[in-house]
Amino acid sequence: MNCQRPTAVKWHRAKCPRRRVAIGARAGSALVALVLYSAAACAADDIVVGASIPLSGPLAGFGSFQQWGYKRAVDEVNKAGGIAIDGKKLNVRLILRDDKTDPNVTASNTETLISRDHVTAILGSCTPVLVNAGALVAERHRIPLVTACDPLEAFKSVRKWSYAWDLFFHEPDLAAAPFRMLEAFKVQTNKRVAILHDNGPDGQVVGGQVWPEIAKSTGYEVVQNSSFPVDNTQFTSLIAEAKSKNADIALVDAITPQAVALRKQMASANFTPKVLVIEKGGEPVQFAQALGKLSDGVLVGGYWDPSFPYPGAADLAKAFEKETGQTSSQHIADSYAAAQVLLDAIAVAGSTDAQKINEAIAKTDKTYVVGPIKFDENHTSKLPIVEDQWRSGNTAVVWPSERATGKFLFPLP
Amino acid sequence: MPSVELIASSLASGFLLGGILALTALGLSLVLGVMRLVNLAHGEFLIAGAYAGLFLVKYTGIDPLLGLLVIGGVIGLLALPMHQFLLMPLAGKGPEAPMMTTFGVSIILQNAFVLAFSADTRAIERDYANVALTLGPVTVAQIYVIGFAISASVVGAVHILIAYTAFGRDLRASAADADAAATIGVNVRRVHALTFALGAGCAALGGTLIGIAFAFTPVSGATYLLTDFAIVVLGGLGNILGTLIGGITLGVLQSIGGVVLGDGYRDLVGLALFLVVLAFRPQGLLAASRS
Repeated sequence: MNCQRPTAVKWHRAKCPRRRVAIGARAGSALVALVLYSAAACAADDIVVGASIPLSGPLAGFGSFQQWGYKRAVDEVNKAGGIAIDGKKLNVRLILRDDKTDPNVTASNTETLISRDHVTAILGSCTPVLVNAGALVAERHRIPLVTACDPLEAFKSVRKWSYAWDLFFHEPDLAAAPFRMLEAFKVQTNKRVAILHDNGPDGQVVGGQVWPEIAKSTGYEVVQNSSFPVDNTQFTSLIAEAKSKNADIALVDAITPQAVALRKQMASANFTPKVLVIEKGGEPVQFAQALGKLSDGVLVGGYWDPSFPYPGAADLAKAFEKETGQTSSQHIADSYAAAQVLLDAIAVAGSTDAQKINEAIAKTDKTYVVGPIKFDENHTSKLPIVEDQWRSGNTAVVWPSERATGKFLFPLP
Repeated sequence: MPSVELIASSLASGFLLGGILALTALGLSLVLGVMRLVNLAHGEFLIAGAYAGLFLVKYTGIDPLLGLLVIGGVIGLLALPMHQFLLMPLAGKGPEAPMMTTFGVSIILQNAFVLAFSADTRAIERDYANVALTLGPVTVAQIYVIGFAISASVVGAVHILIAYTAFGRDLRASAADADAAATIGVNVRRVHALTFALGAGCAALGGTLIGIAFAFTPVSGATYLLTDFAIVVLGGLGNILGTLIGGITLGVLQSIGGVVLGDGYRDLVGLALFLVVLAFRPQGLLAASRS
């Protein structure tokens, strides 16, 4: 039984299914022994890493990038001969499950990855709701989980983690970026800010707390701060209020379907703020594809760009675009880095023992494609923030100046 | 205190949007009223219409509003096999089996959309969807006005079809008493099949408008299904003109909820109203007479 593959990305089943064992049992005790031996050999021949990610549902845009990033990291390790465990080189097998953008499914998928697929370690989903749901299950089973795509405050707010690790941006940095950029460029506005955010965990943190605090401390007036359910589709009243209060700056935190609907409804209500920031949902390329030229000028916080001076950054984007024919996203980088951190830790541990891997993750101190990664006492590692701006279906880094790849478009077209 | 402009614009937008939502609910009301079938795949027919509009403009350059009749016709035709092979065999076996069948079809269609078109957020990009119309203190989206006009026209056309044609007579007879209709020569199966196709076609028209005005994903249908149920209950089962009035009523009340409590409470207002009407006037807010 050959259980090894250079890259084994599995959907909803493992390479050595139980059914095979069951058939062997029926065939006779000798066959049972043979099959069980083979199954054991199979398990021993692979390091199994699992992930539950949103491959369908509203966050599928993120999930497709994560899938690519995770798979690439595993592919590279396998091409290099695998990871030495107790002195023997083993391939890594990646099992991916679709959580359908539903935290309940993330939790049940994670249970399945641990109990049925017997994963050694886990990679996270995307957005706090999904990542935290899976991390709590991993934590309960004491299985290491490395994730990105979960803003650090939202991650830290859940509990004091022992087995979950997060490398991503810090909400206060992201929230401060538009204000710091406006100050740096000395942008002329009436300093009236409308904040529209969803009521998800990160929306509450960024839109409900951090943006108002920073606006106040930097001399801006928050004339509106409204929240809405994550799956809301109608924003007529919120937009009418922002327009009636003459807000020059609109800050939005929403997932992609809502971000698209909101931008369209802004245009159809004749509300054109001078500065429009759409966090979270304004990041995937699907946002620009759905909106066309309406996406031009929209700002979104970023934590990675192929132009960053980190090892492999430019090559990563080129590889993605060559393989998929799509425009690259920063999510390929954080997912790729998260997988690399985990795989490096397994290599350092030289073991599939969860405790040893967890200890190795804690000692991570290396520059990856997203920058230097070193976890603090809260199991978080902060990525530096830049401000991106959409133009003709692509983003350019517009702030800070030393990392800029394009000029700041002002006012919003 | 909200400004006059905000209140006036929100109410006008709610009125017009309610009209569009009525079109999305029309097919559900027809199928429920005539076939006594709770079609849980209705939302997916709507999304199919949105995809049809998206690909029509993408591959032919034809504006989806000009191709609305084609979109409705195609989706209606595609719905016919579902009725023929999945629902018709269950006729006379109680309401549960057909309802659960449509639930299964809903899940299958959602996954088929993901496989065929990816799970990406989509929107039908049209310049006229991004234009505002202003009249005095009232500002509304031009697409809402266009959508309302289309919706009212389709509702009116369906009303005429049912009230004044031979098919409408058969449909009304089948809705009142299918067994009695069959004994006087009405081909009830044919009526049900055509009603199902008409319902799917109307949903597709509504879906195209939703795709132009907002955004959609393969799973967006479920959200509209819930709203559509509220409209059907408000308007009365199978009451065609009642569906339009139910949609407008819901749209206006949701807007009031949006202005007073915030847009996040729109659905709460709508669903609370749905429960109240269901409890005290299950035949709908309007007279029970069918078109």
